[in-house]
Amino acid sequence: MNRASKWRSILSNRFVVVPGVIAVVVLVWNIYVATHNHGVVIGRVVDVNGNPVADATVALWIFNFTTYEEREHVTTDARGDFRFSNNPSYKLQISAEKPGVGRSDRIPVFLYFRSQDIDLSSPLRLGRN
Amino acid sequence: MLRPRTRQALLLWCFLAPSLAIFLLYRVIPVIWNLVLSFQYWSPLKAAEFAGWDHYEDLWFDDVFWQALWNTLIVIASAPIGIALALGLALLVNADIRGRNVYRTIIFLSYPLMTVAVAIIWRWMFDERVGLINYAARTFDLVDKPIPFLNSFTWALPSVIVANIWQMLGFYMIILLAGLQNVPRELHEAAAIDGAGAWHRFTRITLPLIRPSLFLAFVVGMLNSITSFDLVYVMTGGGPGRATEILVTYIYKLGFVQTKFDDAAAVTIVFFVLLISIAWAANRFTGGNAGAVETE
Amino acid sequence: MGRYPRWPIHFALIGAGIVMLVPFYWVLKTSVSGENIYAYPPSIVPRHIHPFFYIDVWYSIPFARYFLNSVAVSMIAVVCNVAFNALAGYALTHGFRGKNAVMLLFLSCMMVPFQATIIPAYLITGKLGLLDSWLGLALPQCSTIICIFVFKSSFDAVPRSLIDAARIDGLPEWRIIWHIMLPLSRSAIATNVILAFIWSWNNFLWPLIMTRSADMQTLPLGLARFLSYQEDTTGALYAFCIMVLAPGLVLFLMAQREFIQGLTSGATKG
Repeated sequence: MNRASKWRSILSNRFVVVPGVIAVVVLVWNIYVATHNHGVVIGRVVDVNGNPVADATVALWIFNFTTYEEREHVTTDARGDFRFSNNPSYKLQISAEKPGVGRSDRIPVFLYFRSQDIDLSSPLRLGRN
Repeated sequence: MLRPRTRQALLLWCFLAPSLAIFLLYRVIPVIWNLVLSFQYWSPLKAAEFAGWDHYEDLWFDDVFWQALWNTLIVIASAPIGIALALGLALLVNADIRGRNVYRTIIFLSYPLMTVAVAIIWRWMFDERVGLINYAARTFDLVDKPIPFLNSFTWALPSVIVANIWQMLGFYMIILLAGLQNVPRELHEAAAIDGAGAWHRFTRITLPLIRPSLFLAFVVGMLNSITSFDLVYVMTGGGPGRATEILVTYIYKLGFVQTKFDDAAAVTIVFFVLLISIAWAANRFTGGNAGAVETE
Repeated sequence: MGRYPRWPIHFALIGAGIVMLVPFYWVLKTSVSGENIYAYPPSIVPRHIHPFFYIDVWYSIPFARYFLNSVAVSMIAVVCNVAFNALAGYALTHGFRGKNAVMLLFLSCMMVPFQATIIPAYLITGKLGLLDSWLGLALPQCSTIICIFVFKSSFDAVPRSLIDAARIDGLPEWRIIWHIMLPLSRSAIATNVILAFIWSWNNFLWPLIMTRSADMQTLPLGLARFLSYQEDTTGALYAFCIMVLAPGLVLFLMAQREFIQGLTSGATKG
C-alpha cells in the first residue's frame, strides 16, 4: 500500500472518524462559548400599546437550587432598552415594573450556557395587575 | 544461568502473573475469606472470635433471608421464559430474510446499556399514574384502574423480571443464533424431503443440536438474574416491604448499610452454594460436559 | 429451501423491534419535552421540543466530574485488560507444567460472580489503601477470563511457521508478541477493548461500595443519586439518562461486530 492510500484507509476508519468528528464539534462549541459568555442580557420594555417605556425598573432573578432570587436591578433608558452586564447563570427570570404604568410578568429566560450573551427577542410588556 | 526451557517456563509464568494476581485477589481469596468470615464474629473494630454455626442459625430463623431466597429462585425460574422468547426471535432472525443484521442490532441494543438507566426507564414505564404500561393496559381495556406495579406486593417482582428480560433478550438471542447457525441446512432439507413437518424438524433436529447453546444461555441467564443488583436497587430498592429483595441486595444491605460483615458473609456463602448447585444441575440436565474446554 | 412467505417474519420482527425501541423513544421524547411526567394521557409525538433539560443536568450536577471519573476508570481497565489478557492468552498457547491447573483455575473463576465477593473485595481494597481512587475502582475489572480465551484462540490461529521462523531468528518472546501476534489479532484486541470498556462503564455496585467522597463517583452512581434526590419530578432525570446512555450506544454501534463476536466466541469456550 502506498502512503496516500494508507492515510486514506486510516482516516476513513470508523474508529477515527467518529471520535474525530466528536472532537471537532466539542472544540468548535467551546470556542463559541468562550467568545459569547460575557453575561450580557439586553431587552426592551413596552407598555400595553407597544410604546417603549423609559425609566422602568428591570429585575434579574437567578435560579438558585430550588427557587429564583432577585439579584440585580437596572433602569431602562429613554428608548426603553435595558442591559445587564454580568449575568452569571443559565436560568433566569426577568421582570419589569414602573409605578403608574404597570408591571410585567416574570419572564423565564433559558440559556444554552452560563453567562450567554442574549438579546431578548420579545419585549417585556407592562400590564395593569 | 538457567536452562532455556526453565527460562521459558519462568517467562510464561511472568506473563500469567498479572491476570493470576487479579483473579487470586478478587475471586479466589474473597471466596475463602467469605467462608472463614461466616464462621466468625467480626466487625472492623473488634478482633475476630470463633462463632461456629451461629450466623447460619440466625439465617435459618431470619424471615428476610427466606423471602430473599424465594425471590431469587423466582427470578432464576424466569430466565427460561426469556430464553424461550429469544429462541423464537433467533429462529426468525436466522431465516433467509433481508436486513437480518438490522433486526439483530435493534434487538441486541438493550444489552450494552447501563442497567441503572434501564432501571430508571422501566421504573417510569411501570409508574402508576403516567406509565406507559398502565396506559396501554387501560387503552386495551385490560384493567379498569391503574395498577401500582412497583408498589404492589404481587406485581413488583414480575415488573422487575420483565425489565430484566427486556434487557437480556438480545444477549440470549445472540447466543442462540450462533448455535442455530451451526445447524447444517442439509439436515433440514433432507428431513423436509422425507416429509417431516416444521414442528417435527424443530424438535428432532434443531433442538438437540443447539443444546450447548441452550445450556450456555441458561447459565448466562441464571448468572445474570441471580446477580441483578442494579436493576432491583434502582427500580424498587428491594421493596415494597421485602417483595423484591433478592439475595444480592440483602448481602449489600447487611454488609454495607448495617455493617454486619459476618452475617453478610454467611448469606454470601449460601448464595454461592445456590449458584454452584444450579449450574451443576443444569450441566447434568443438558447431558453433562457442556462448555468443556480441551486441555492440551 | 423453503418457498415460504417472508412477510410474516418481517412483521413479527418489526413488532419485536418496536417493543425493544419504545422505551428509548419514550425517554428521548420526555428528555426533550418534559411531557408525561405529570400529564396523562401521554402524547405520542412531543410538543414543544427544547434542550434545556440537558443544560440543567450539565450545570446542576457535576456531570463533567462524573464523566471524567468514568472515563478514567474505564481507560485504566481497558489498557490493563488488553495488556494482561494478551500476555495470559499468549502464555496459554504454550504447554508447560501446571497449565491444566491454571486453566481449571480460570474456568472456576468464571463461576464466581462479582456480587459474591463484594465484602472481601472491599476489605482487600481498603487494606491496599486504594479506596476512593481510580486505580481501586478499576482494579477488579483489570482482567476478564472470556477475553483471555478470546486472545488464546486468536493466537492459536497464527501459523506456527511464523513463530518458529521468528524464534530461529532469535527474537525474544515479547517482541514476538508485539510484532507478530498482536498485529494479526486486531479483532481480538477490538473485542477486548469494547467488552472491557462497556463492562467497566456500566459498573454500578463496585463504585457504590467503594467511593467515599462525592467527587470520585462515576456516572452510574451519579445517576442513581440524582434519582434519589430529585425523584422523577423533572425531565432532567431523563436527560441525564440519555446523556449517560449515549456514549455506550455510540461505542456499541461503532464496534458491534467485535462486541457480539467476543461474547459468542469467548462464551462458547467455556
